[in-house]
Amino acid sequence: MDGAERKKDHGELKKMSAENTKENNIALEVTGISKAFGSTVVLKNVDFSLKKGEAISIIGSSGSGKTTLLRCLNFLETPDTGIIKVNGKVLLDASEMKSLSDEEIRKRRLHFGMVFQQFNLFPQYTALENVMLAPVLVDKKNKHDARSRAVELLSVMGLSDKTDRYPHELSGGQQQRVAIARALAMDPDILCFDEPTSALDPELTGEVLSVIRDLSSRHTTMIIVTHEMSFARDVSHQVLFMDSGIILERGTPDEVFGNPKEERTKAFLGSIDS
Amino acid sequence: MFQTVTISLLQGFGETLKLFLLTLVFALPLGLFISFGSMSRFRPLKLLVRFIVWVVRGTPLMLQLIIIYYGPGIFLGRNLWGSNDEGRFLAALAAFSVNYACYFSEIYRGGIQSIPLGQYEAGYVLGMTKGQIFREIVLLQVIKRIVPPMSNEIITLVKDTSLARVIAVYEIIWNGQSFIKSAGIIWPLFYTGVFYLAFSGLLSVLFTGIEKKLSYFRC
Ligand SMILES: Nc1ncnc2c1ncn2[C@@H]1O[C@H](COP(=O)(O)OP(=O)(O)OP(=O)(O)O)[C@@H](O)[C@H]1O
Ligand SMILES: [Mg+2]
Repeated sequence: MDGAERKKDHGELKKMSAENTKENNIALEVTGISKAFGSTVVLKNVDFSLKKGEAISIIGSSGSGKTTLLRCLNFLETPDTGIIKVNGKVLLDASEMKSLSDEEIRKRRLHFGMVFQQFNLFPQYTALENVMLAPVLVDKKNKHDARSRAVELLSVMGLSDKTDRYPHELSGGQQQRVAIARALAMDPDILCFDEPTSALDPELTGEVLSVIRDLSSRHTTMIIVTHEMSFARDVSHQVLFMDSGIILERGTPDEVFGNPKEERTKAFLGSIDS
Repeated sequence: MFQTVTISLLQGFGETLKLFLLTLVFALPLGLFISFGSMSRFRPLKLLVRFIVWVVRGTPLMLQLIIIYYGPGIFLGRNLWGSNDEGRFLAALAAFSVNYACYFSEIYRGGIQSIPLGQYEAGYVLGMTKGQIFREIVLLQVIKRIVPPMSNEIITLVKDTSLARVIAVYEIIWNGQSFIKSAGIIWPLFYTGVFYLAFSGLLSVLFTGIEKKLSYFRC
């Protein structure tokens, strides 16, 4: 089917789910997340929410807590306070984290996918094996199904001819696209990107941004930490500007980029543009 | 004469090989436990293990052989090992195993700690267990990284087995040297070198093969 048809399909789908229940539409609700490392407070009472099928961009200067926020969502860090709800259900309540078993944590973190700045592909596995590994080990899928899904995902990433390559045989941009396929293979509700193009040569960022753009047009629910402002502007439905651990400003891309209210936001956007 | 010497040296080399192989059998896994101990999050255990490793690596193996063999007799008033050939061999095996386990543990630790945290985190976010991450992701990368230092260490072990003669384990050099007294000839001692060379050459080929096998990926 062509693009227009797909859009229409999704439009109808969306209408249907909207008619079902209103709150059913919220994919993620983060309330009161705080996190300190020793005496350094990195996140202060962070709140935001994300609708299904939407993309949110998080921007902000170095050290403002963007990575830490994503790591809290993925259970790589434990927030000191706060609640994370996914699809209306409490996924993480900082006050009862201690009582969660390892197995429970593994199950819950699968609601999120994570794409790292440094790709972190497994070097001893081919692109295909990287994508298949977790579905086979964790979801106990049979190899045949896992393989055909991986082939499909890699082809969506434009890597059909690279399935049998090892990571060191791929360019950074290709490695990052494998990493995206690997995350998608676990069918996360929400896909997180931590500066997915920051480790890439400038000429390779385009190919990665374009697959993310593609995911966005297929209504993948995403959180994207990025320094690519024009990309953030046209791919996301919502933009959060973080500054020393708080969300200082938020809104639609046009609001935040076109008409920033806070001085710090203006200064930050000014420094990036130049 | 040449035949007599060769047979005697082969016998001695049999003993050398036995000590070499049994040391590996014990030291390779023991080293892994020691390396886990030296990375333990329980500080007293970590410090104790690192102290032991420091002592063992910081003193000569020859001294350790003597202490392990004669120590119990002197300090406990009772020769733990028995004074026959077998007892001396066991004492040597114990000393070699502990000594090499400590060296191996440092190599393992270096290998394990050199794996970037990102590899573990990539596994975690995909829902893998710690065991799965270690077995399916980390282990092979560690092996690839430690093959070169391990092969050095293992080839050193081949030659170090000759130290066992200080407690009269009849390995190849002991046998070669005995011809000086019994027949007044020294060449059998030189001849022992050929056995060492051949065997360490064989090991080099083996390790190069393993390195080649693992060269399909980079980490
Ligand atoms: N494990 C940690 N221990 C101590 N401090 C940490 C740790 N992780 C992060 N921090 C601190 O928390 C602050 C926020 O870090 P974070 O990585 O979340 O920032 P960021 O917004 O992602 O920055 P960047 O744009 O550079 O990636 C920094 O001051 C950092 O030094
Ligand atoms: Mg960061």
